[in-house]
Amino acid sequence: MIELTLQTLSFLAAALLVIIGMAGMLYLDNLIKKLIAFTLLSDGVNLALVSLGYVQGGIVPILEPGASLSDFPNEAALIFGPGIVLTNIVIGVSTTAILAALIVILYKRYGTLKASKVLKGEHE
Amino acid sequence: MNETITNLWSIPLLIVIPILTAIVVNLLYNRGRAIRAVSIASAAVLLVISLVSPYGFQWFTGQPGVTYDGTYTFNANVFSWKLSLEYYYGPLQQIMISVMSFLLLFVVAISTKSLKKNFGPYIALMFLTYLSAAAIMMVNDFYHLWIAVEIGSLLVAGLVAASGGGAAQKAALKYTFFSALSGSGLAIALALILGITGYANITDAINSLKINDLSGMYNVLYVSFAFLMLSWIYAGGLAPIHPLKSDVYRSAYPHATVMLQTQSKLTLVAIGLVLLRMFGTLPFAREAMLSISILTMVIGIVMALIQTDFRWILAYLIVSHSGLVTVGISLGTFRGIVGGLFQAVNDVIYMSLLLVCCEMVLYFGRGTSIKFSGGLAKRAPLLTVFVILGTLAASGVPPFNGFQSELILIQAALEQGLPEVAAVILMVSVSTFIALFRAIYSIFLRPGDELQQGSERFKLPGTTLIFLVALVAITLVLGIYPQLALNFLTESALKVVFVPWVP
Repeated sequence: MIELTLQTLSFLAAALLVIIGMAGMLYLDNLIKKLIAFTLLSDGVNLALVSLGYVQGGIVPILEPGASLSDFPNEAALIFGPGIVLTNIVIGVSTTAILAALIVILYKRYGTLKASKVLKGEHE
Repeated sequence: MNETITNLWSIPLLIVIPILTAIVVNLLYNRGRAIRAVSIASAAVLLVISLVSPYGFQWFTGQPGVTYDGTYTFNANVFSWKLSLEYYYGPLQQIMISVMSFLLLFVVAISTKSLKKNFGPYIALMFLTYLSAAAIMMVNDFYHLWIAVEIGSLLVAGLVAASGGGAAQKAALKYTFFSALSGSGLAIALALILGITGYANITDAINSLKINDLSGMYNVLYVSFAFLMLSWIYAGGLAPIHPLKSDVYRSAYPHATVMLQTQSKLTLVAIGLVLLRMFGTLPFAREAMLSISILTMVIGIVMALIQTDFRWILAYLIVSHSGLVTVGISLGTFRGIVGGLFQAVNDVIYMSLLLVCCEMVLYFGRGTSIKFSGGLAKRAPLLTVFVILGTLAASGVPPFNGFQSELILIQAALEQGLPEVAAVILMVSVSTFIALFRAIYSIFLRPGDELQQGSERFKLPGTTLIFLVALVAITLVLGIYPQLALNFLTESALKVVFVPWVP
């Protein structure tokens, strides 16, 4: 039986966000809704990455003067997860901006936000 | 292999120069001559750097493990935790990045001539695409790999959208939506690998997997392998994501597709080798990679055979030949990896030759549909010769380069006791010839009513002519003297097979 710690709950919430985001991106027909679903997916990934660095009863990973060097590695939260999140936020914003720009251009061209109409294939 | 512990000077330059060029040409925006001068000069500098650079590392954090033998030297073969985000420039990186720099030089020269206005941002995207591919080739840590792949995906979308037209914008939108999915998958893979091993450095992560007891961790390993493979499939345009990538290749200007397909091939090589180094010993991992590769080859070539437009044919052939690259890597043997890497080098060269020929068909005001065109051989005989030579190289006909790499791949498949894979590779070669010759006959050789009326010959622009001659020369030289390229590739293949933790 998996113990329901704060970290487990956090991972579950992240998984839920990722699933909702993925489903929205794949199945919703409105391009703006697809974009919103992408932001949910991105948030889910960020939450998973932050949760990875969580240490029960841990401390901020900054070595204060007088702190015990032997205890620090065990108590400090892992810093790499939040570091990746910062990058992922930047990438997420860039992707959102590009998607939004393309949606605006295509809306002006086709007059609709329906993916089924806008993205209709021209393949022979 | 001892290397100095100082950071290598060329690695930051290969990253910074494209960024600075992108900023400058963006600011120049519409000043055609200035943009042309700056971009050609930058591309030439990048080519020189990639050719003359020594081999070595660039460390961003942490430090290399050093040994003291009179002087402090870094020995990649001696075990030590590196704890650093690092880039590596070796023989494999040198040949791949040099080829890409050579293509960039001519692509920039051609595009700054053919585009009429406001092409500063477009050229900037071209340089940034180069940057992302160079970074993907050089990284030896998951963090930078993830960033480079993400940036690369966005740049592909940007470059396609900048090619204009509704079809290009639609292709860019579809590609960006899926890039969001695969990018998130790669981030999750990174998080899982960090969770299992504790290291972002690929060398450290492989060492950690070797040293630590992983019983009970296999499910997490497989999930991280699956997410990493998803990004491999996506970034390289392998099946079943191939319609998105072929759409991208078809929608961009053919000269932009030269850079796009080069970026894809380099990404396939880089991520493929990481997959093999990290998960190669995992049961069924190589089999999964091989299945995707065979599927890509077969679907790509079947789709190419049924197309009725030269651009679509080339788009699907690029996809199909991506499968040739990955099939070699997936075999995981020394010969297989050498074949896959050599195929990647050859592929970008002969596909570039065909793409530039396709660009010239459009430049002469002709359509690329094989239903309504014809008679171009009379008006452009030189272009006809080039496109036939490109077809022979792509079809693996001796003495061109495609023959050598496909022969190595077939030998590798037979060595592994997989004659059916060898048969598929042969089938791809033959079908490539059929698909391309069908287009060549319809566009160039078949009598065309409209074109018969004129007798004036089309003249190839000077830069394009030089580019085409150079590409044909390279396909011939590598076909006759394959050792010129193989000397760069064998060391990398040996390392992947015998010491996978060494970048």
